[in-house]
Amino acid sequence: MQFDGDVLTIGLDMSMEEIREFEQFVRPRLEYLETIEIEEGTLLRSSALLALLVSLKRTRNDVKIPFLDQGFITSGVYGTLHWMGHD
Amino acid sequence: MTKQEQVKAIFIEEAGEIIEKLDVNILRFEENSSDFDLLNEIFRGVHTLKGNANAFGFTRLGEFVHHFEDVLDHYRSTKEEVEEHHLELFVGSVDVIKEVMVCELDALPDLPDDYPICLEKIKALIASKKPGAEPIAVQEAPMVLNDLAAEFALSGEEQMDNSIANTIKKLQASQSEGLNLYRVDLTLDEDCYKRGFDHLLFLKLLGEKAVSLESFFDMEPIQPLNEFNCDVNVFKHVCAIVLTPQTLEEVEENFEFLFDHEYKVTRIVQPLIEKAVEEVKPVVAEEKLPAVEKESAKSAPSSSSANAAAPKSTIRIDTFKLDELFDSVGELVIAQNFIAQNEKIRSIEDESISRAIETLSKITKRIQDRVMSLRMVAIRDTFDKMKRVVRDTSKKTGKELHLHVLGEETEIDKTMIDSLSDPLIHIIRNAIDHGLEADADERLATGKKVEGTITLRAYHKSGSIVISVSDDGRGINKEKVFRKAIERGIITGDENLTDSQIFGLIMQPGFSTADTISDLSGRGVGLDVVKTSIEKLRGKIEVDSKEGEGTTFSMVLPLTLAIIDGMLVQAAGEIYIIPTLSVVESFRPDREIVHALKEKGEFVSLRGQHIPVIRLSDVFDLPTVRIEPWEGILVCVETEAGRIAIMVDELVGRQQVVIKPLGKALAKLKEISGGAILGSGDIALILNVDELRPLIEAAHG
Repeated sequence: MQFDGDVLTIGLDMSMEEIREFEQFVRPRLEYLETIEIEEGTLLRSSALLALLVSLKRTRNDVKIPFLDQGFITSGVYGTLHWMGHD
Repeated sequence: MTKQEQVKAIFIEEAGEIIEKLDVNILRFEENSSDFDLLNEIFRGVHTLKGNANAFGFTRLGEFVHHFEDVLDHYRSTKEEVEEHHLELFVGSVDVIKEVMVCELDALPDLPDDYPICLEKIKALIASKKPGAEPIAVQEAPMVLNDLAAEFALSGEEQMDNSIANTIKKLQASQSEGLNLYRVDLTLDEDCYKRGFDHLLFLKLLGEKAVSLESFFDMEPIQPLNEFNCDVNVFKHVCAIVLTPQTLEEVEENFEFLFDHEYKVTRIVQPLIEKAVEEVKPVVAEEKLPAVEKESAKSAPSSSSANAAAPKSTIRIDTFKLDELFDSVGELVIAQNFIAQNEKIRSIEDESISRAIETLSKITKRIQDRVMSLRMVAIRDTFDKMKRVVRDTSKKTGKELHLHVLGEETEIDKTMIDSLSDPLIHIIRNAIDHGLEADADERLATGKKVEGTITLRAYHKSGSIVISVSDDGRGINKEKVFRKAIERGIITGDENLTDSQIFGLIMQPGFSTADTISDLSGRGVGLDVVKTSIEKLRGKIEVDSKEGEGTTFSMVLPLTLAIIDGMLVQAAGEIYIIPTLSVVESFRPDREIVHALKEKGEFVSLRGQHIPVIRLSDVFDLPTVRIEPWEGILVCVETEAGRIAIMVDELVGRQQVVIKPLGKALAKLKEISGGAILGSGDIALILNVDELRPLIEAAHG
């Protein structure tokens, strides 16, 4: 996880423990955030992270999360994940 | 026991079985690390254990097996050869799993020392093998499924329905022979993360065999942060469409740890069968899309995959219930014997009654045999465990050796199996540590191969079961044992002992001829404990050895603990039972071979051996007319202190008797090990022959 100015870059391969930590980290800092980017090459490990990202977006609609906007992610492990109703 | 406790007890039992199997399989894999079927089996065991552990909140165990599973998963999916040092890590991991399991069950706060070390090694191994899994053949650019939906401002659920319908249509178009299309609906409970489950975990499992996999998450129910908790699953419904060569049963196996209401697998068939279209609701009602075959395991009991309806080949029964059943059968045998031997009934000269009694006897015997067989299990699992002992001892001692196993299918009473492990472990360690030569040079000097051989064998012999451990090592030095036994005061040196009796001395308490003490054996404690353990099982242990050629420890055990084969004898009008296992021979002695020595009692000279004679009438203080030994019968029996000749009036016969425990008052009589009800309804006492000898020694000083 990297905080560079207003951009927070996270890896998708967070364990539950890391997701909890991320949630604790981001809650008080959400208002300073402009964009949440995803580190390339990382593989989603838990649906809880997907839910958290949507929840962040629901809390502050103007925060940019390009990853969510694409509506799907493809990997050799999980096939294609689609999400809908996130915006 | 509450429901929760019952479920936990089942978990403990199952986990124990899985770990035992892991222990064996990991060694087999170590021997043949290209056996990926075996690796798959190991993986499945670890996977099951992980699910169970997490379900019961054993998070420390869950975490460890989770990472271990990842490592196994890597090798099984890449088919990459496992390096030797990693094999060692696999074996070590199973050890840690065993230890952590104990910690979890006993709720111990501290984990084994190896836990963090091993876990770090596993993590490092995973890190070094960063996922390079073969991608599932998904289309290069996934269809944009929700554009239209967005245009018409459909709800998340409606968008999902449309997207799923389109995906099914698309995958059906690419479906070829041998591939099946399934719809998987996951409705995991809110606490699924806490239980160690995750949608992604199941998608990953589905993806392992899938040709194509697409899943759909409805994000609509997700709340802003002030109402959000990442530990709570907010996805009420996730749907996956999977194209795979797997059968419905195989797909469902992925969800075996979930509650029934948390998943539904439905096979999607081409809409060729009109009836199917009529019978079931299409995936999307508005479109003439694929019909759904009613094949869900949960909704169609007639399906071959319906767990509830499928015939089970085995069931689990509490051994306590089996014991109760066995007791009842014992009573039945007694009642049947009573009828068969009752004089009044036998005096009725009616062919139909005789036939009925005969039929009853046959049926009773059949029931007895079948109930007996319920308690019998193959000794294979115990032998498998010993392979690990041999491996570890071999590594510790640095001795190269080969384990030869024979008679793994031999069946033995389950109660005994549980008590056999420790004695076997000790004998095997002893055989490797002391039985085999110290090093290769010593073996080569005696013309043997460098690699030693340990043979583990089980077989039936005269109604008993023999389990033997043989080594092809240096053998036992008889003279050294004899000298040592005198030094230790175990014998005086005047005794006329057979070779077998001399070898048997090594199992006396405090005896050890080992020049050095290792952490494996040689402390002078152990073999006597082994002997006691085997005797508790109503068995005996025999040692046979040839210097320079090797040693064999044979544990001779009864088939079962509940029934013994006994020789019925009569003394002073009472019937006694001598366990046949102890009987060497019975005979009426010639007058010339019987001697009475002052203050030493009576002896019989048999093939150069002076065997003390003991009269049961003396032991139990029975009023009787005293007769001379040559007027009675002597039953020669083997006891731990040597042979004795039990003098009886008459040999009544030999029969299997159901052992009945004695009451508290009689339990104090060491000379009696139990009682049995005879066919006549009379009670006979079972002699504890090992306790008869001290009595005559006491009586005669």
